[in-house]
Amino acid sequence: MISTWTLLDHLWVVAVTTAVVALLLPRSRSGSWGMALLYLLQLSLLGGMSLPEVVREASLQLTLLEYPMHWSMDGMGLYFSLITVAAALFASLYMAGEWGEHYRAQGKSLRMLHFSLAINNATMLLLLSSGDLLSLFIGWELASWSAFLMMTLAGGVALQAAIRYLIYAMSGAMMIFAAISMIAVHLGTLQFDLVRESVTAFSEPQSGLLLLLVVCGFGIKMGLLPFHLWQAPAYAETPGPGSAFLGAISSRLGLFAMVVVLFKLSGGAWLNLEWLGVTPQTVLAWVAVATIVFPTFTAMRQNDARELLAWHGIGQGGYMLLGIVMMEPLGVAGGMLHVFNHATYQAALFFAVTAVIYRTGTSDLNQLGGLIVRMPLTFVTMLVGIIGLAGLPPMNGFVSKMLIYRSLLEQGELLLFVGAVIGTLGTILSVYKLIHNTFLGTLRLEHHAVKEVEWSMLLPMLLLSLVIFVTGVFPGVPLQWVAEAVAAVGLSMPDYHMGGVMTASGNFDMRVLTAILLGSFAIGALIFYRAGRSRRIHPFDNYAGGHFLHASNHYHYSNNFYAGLMHLILPWYRGLFQRMESALIRVVELLSDLSAGLFGSVRLVQTPLLIVVLLLWWGAGQ
Amino acid sequence: MRAEWIALLVALPLLAAFLLQPLSMVAGSERQRRVYWIAPATIMATLALSAMLGESLSQQPISMVMGGFVVPMGINFYLDGLSWGLLVALQFSLLLLWPPSHSIRQQVLMLLLAASATGMVLSGDLFNLYVFYELLAVATFGLVAINKSRAAATASFRYLILSGLGAVLILSGIALIYHQTGTLNLAHLAQLVSLGTVELPLAAFLLMLVGFGVKAELFGVNGWVPEVYGVISPRLSALLAGVISKLAVLVILRVVLLLFPQPEAAQALLWLGILGVASGEFAAWRSRDLRRMLSFSSIGQLGMILIAFSLSLEVGLFVGIVLSLHHLLVKAGLFLLTEDRFGRWGIALFILFSLSLVGVPPLPGFWAKFSLLNGLWSVGGWENHLALVLFLIVTVVEASYLFRVVQQYQQGAMVAPVAVDGAQRSWIDATAVSAILALLLLWTTVQIQEVADKVEQVAVQAADRGQLIATVLGEKQ
Repeated sequence: MISTWTLLDHLWVVAVTTAVVALLLPRSRSGSWGMALLYLLQLSLLGGMSLPEVVREASLQLTLLEYPMHWSMDGMGLYFSLITVAAALFASLYMAGEWGEHYRAQGKSLRMLHFSLAINNATMLLLLSSGDLLSLFIGWELASWSAFLMMTLAGGVALQAAIRYLIYAMSGAMMIFAAISMIAVHLGTLQFDLVRESVTAFSEPQSGLLLLLVVCGFGIKMGLLPFHLWQAPAYAETPGPGSAFLGAISSRLGLFAMVVVLFKLSGGAWLNLEWLGVTPQTVLAWVAVATIVFPTFTAMRQNDARELLAWHGIGQGGYMLLGIVMMEPLGVAGGMLHVFNHATYQAALFFAVTAVIYRTGTSDLNQLGGLIVRMPLTFVTMLVGIIGLAGLPPMNGFVSKMLIYRSLLEQGELLLFVGAVIGTLGTILSVYKLIHNTFLGTLRLEHHAVKEVEWSMLLPMLLLSLVIFVTGVFPGVPLQWVAEAVAAVGLSMPDYHMGGVMTASGNFDMRVLTAILLGSFAIGALIFYRAGRSRRIHPFDNYAGGHFLHASNHYHYSNNFYAGLMHLILPWYRGLFQRMESALIRVVELLSDLSAGLFGSVRLVQTPLLIVVLLLWWGAGQ
Repeated sequence: MRAEWIALLVALPLLAAFLLQPLSMVAGSERQRRVYWIAPATIMATLALSAMLGESLSQQPISMVMGGFVVPMGINFYLDGLSWGLLVALQFSLLLLWPPSHSIRQQVLMLLLAASATGMVLSGDLFNLYVFYELLAVATFGLVAINKSRAAATASFRYLILSGLGAVLILSGIALIYHQTGTLNLAHLAQLVSLGTVELPLAAFLLMLVGFGVKAELFGVNGWVPEVYGVISPRLSALLAGVISKLAVLVILRVVLLLFPQPEAAQALLWLGILGVASGEFAAWRSRDLRRMLSFSSIGQLGMILIAFSLSLEVGLFVGIVLSLHHLLVKAGLFLLTEDRFGRWGIALFILFSLSLVGVPPLPGFWAKFSLLNGLWSVGGWENHLALVLFLIVTVVEASYLFRVVQQYQQGAMVAPVAVDGAQRSWIDATAVSAILALLLLWTTVQIQEVADKVEQVAVQAADRGQLIATVLGEKQ
């Protein structure tokens, strides 16, 4: 029996077992480590699946209500699964030690956190291995609701954010539901390959409708503008490792599903339809740029480190989509690679912020500062993470963004390029705010006793930092996974090697670039250390963020950061999207008031009589 | 198994109802306890009887004529797969939701309810339908008014007025038909209609639709729903919103299927369904009281069922039956949970039922909604597309208000439900009954294919007009 099981069967069984074990988790540290081991086992199974000539189908096949369902892990699913399970592994490592004990000491249920992580992981694997639209939708719904479970864990504000997420997610799900049902009715099948064969049977308006439903439906999960409002609060309020996991991979599922439908099913043809001279491709590219720019600048305004990161998560999703909708090797490779890169640095950043919360009890950027002397290794993690997030060499975020920029330039999309660069500018400014307000500046009096976090938390953070650096210097490693993913949906890849890619305009090699960079650092360091002793100055004798400060003025540098810049761009934050959202809520309120009015006690008999008269009048007319 | 035994299904509870009061007086106070068991035991006996009937039903529907009169003259009971399923659901629900109180009057009323509801399921002619409908209404007034609060009396009175209006409308509809054809037997009428000798006036259908619609929580005549469900015991709400409303739907369905093939009839169903869905779900969103919220939601769900039945025969019947069964189970479970403050199990069950109601796969609610969606797409037309869009929107609204309850629970802000039945405890805790329904729901999730096949079979049989005519009228076809 067991011998006929495929690797995917084993993976599912282990994933479900992980969830069950999480529920039975003994109140000991070894139990938590056991969870990490189970994720490691899943990771190795995924590794086994990536070997050539391995069966990737699941043995389970169902036919329910005349719709056959089957599951199979293609390259695309494998790529996202690797990131998912790795993110879960790091998150579980992070909570296995002191953090988890601290969490439990606060009277919260570590078991629930472990369970919701495991169930998220399991349902996402189910989604990622789906072989037809029905199993895709089932996986999608289960993953959405699992994410909801995780978001509710913190209670209070988090619960409110989770409910908001739920409404957005349900709206998205209903659009997808409508699209799937439409495909089922018109084509009579939901199998990927069969749908692909007959997808041309849809007329142009029908294809357009399907495209709209699918892009909006899956885009809600991605936090695509204008459906992004739910994401940052929901992710930020989740308990630390949970938000690292969600921020790293959860909303990328939207991208996964969108890519599957747009390329695997329609072969990209839907993106090339044309109305009034505008193709969906162009629209989507501009939506992606808007998704980069607006949330990034909103991130800059945040005063809570987790909110800031979560807002960036939305913006970075824009880069991925922008690269992919270019539908050309460099852009696709860049967009897909960014999924991996973003997961690594986002998780590292959330871990670092969670470490700061663990020690200081706050993530309020106006209440922190100067922690570099107390938590140097956490600082290093955050530094590596923000370099990645900002897309600067030599970290991995640079590589993917570079590919996307190259693609935009080669396609002659200068305006899109400018948009993307504006987004990067905002990113750099806001991540500087993050690291400055947390680690630089003056150490606050109440934080003098703060120590570095324990090894159980440092280990995953430093490991991730290493990954960010190594995959930055050797992007060929993740690029080979990307290549397989891209091939699975029928797109093409640029020529790549261990250090980068070969483009039309030449070789792009991160190894060389890093060598030059490190070489110039070495020269700088040489000059610095040869220049003689530095002079120590009073911490107040300084200025930062464009503010001149006097020593007499006990002003905390990090408060009201970027005041000058904010003064300039604040008029742009008009809360347009918030207004759209509340307008929608008002419409529902109005409708419900009207409906409730029908049931007023006075109208008990009037309404029925009116109905009868109207009906009879109508009936007589027929 | 002789067909005559069907009559016992109605006669037994009726008999028990008449005997219960004298028996209780004779028994005296020390043997009173034994008397309490008579009523549930009667229901159990009828359940056993229907189980036996079910076996002989697998091939052929059963028709029974009372007193040897030939159809269309005599009283005629008809049992096919659909009515059998509803019958068992009714008896099962009655047993599970048996009221906790030990008042003989309430037991008598419950028996009357059982007898009249069974009669409505089985009746093969319009006049009997009407009689049983009236009896059912009387039993329900009594049950609603048994709680002696002011609010209950008001609600009961309102219900009385609307039911009275409904009865008048039904009677007018029946009169129209009788005037036209001179017969009230459904099979006979169906034969006349299918032979094309007569076309029944649409007005008759509309009158009967609104009339029976009072029980089916139809748009416009459902003003009683939130008021009554707000004050009566949750068990009774579960019964009324669960199975009794489906009886009325079944009657409407039979009338449409057999007598009114006109597209206008389907159109009326569709529009009343659309209005019901919109008004019910949006009103539920606004409502802050848990029970009222569930009542409004029930109005919305019944609207959805009507939309399903308005679709063409091949698609609509299956979808409508699936939706009905699902709502029967889930709404009963949800109402039961409001009997007490939510505990840990209470909230878990609430979430499970809510998930299914919203249509989260792989729970049965998903398959029901998926079938409805497919049906609406495949039939097409702007009205159906409007229904489709509305259906998708209200599903989001549904999720929003159901999970607002979960939020309130977690924040400890939930309004404690009023204890309705006082301190008296039933033989089984409401949450436990709800848990049984939840298990049934989960079982269906696993067995979804088998259940769907069964429903498909039942739907095919219910749609087969020729078989009904042949069975009831004998070889005259």
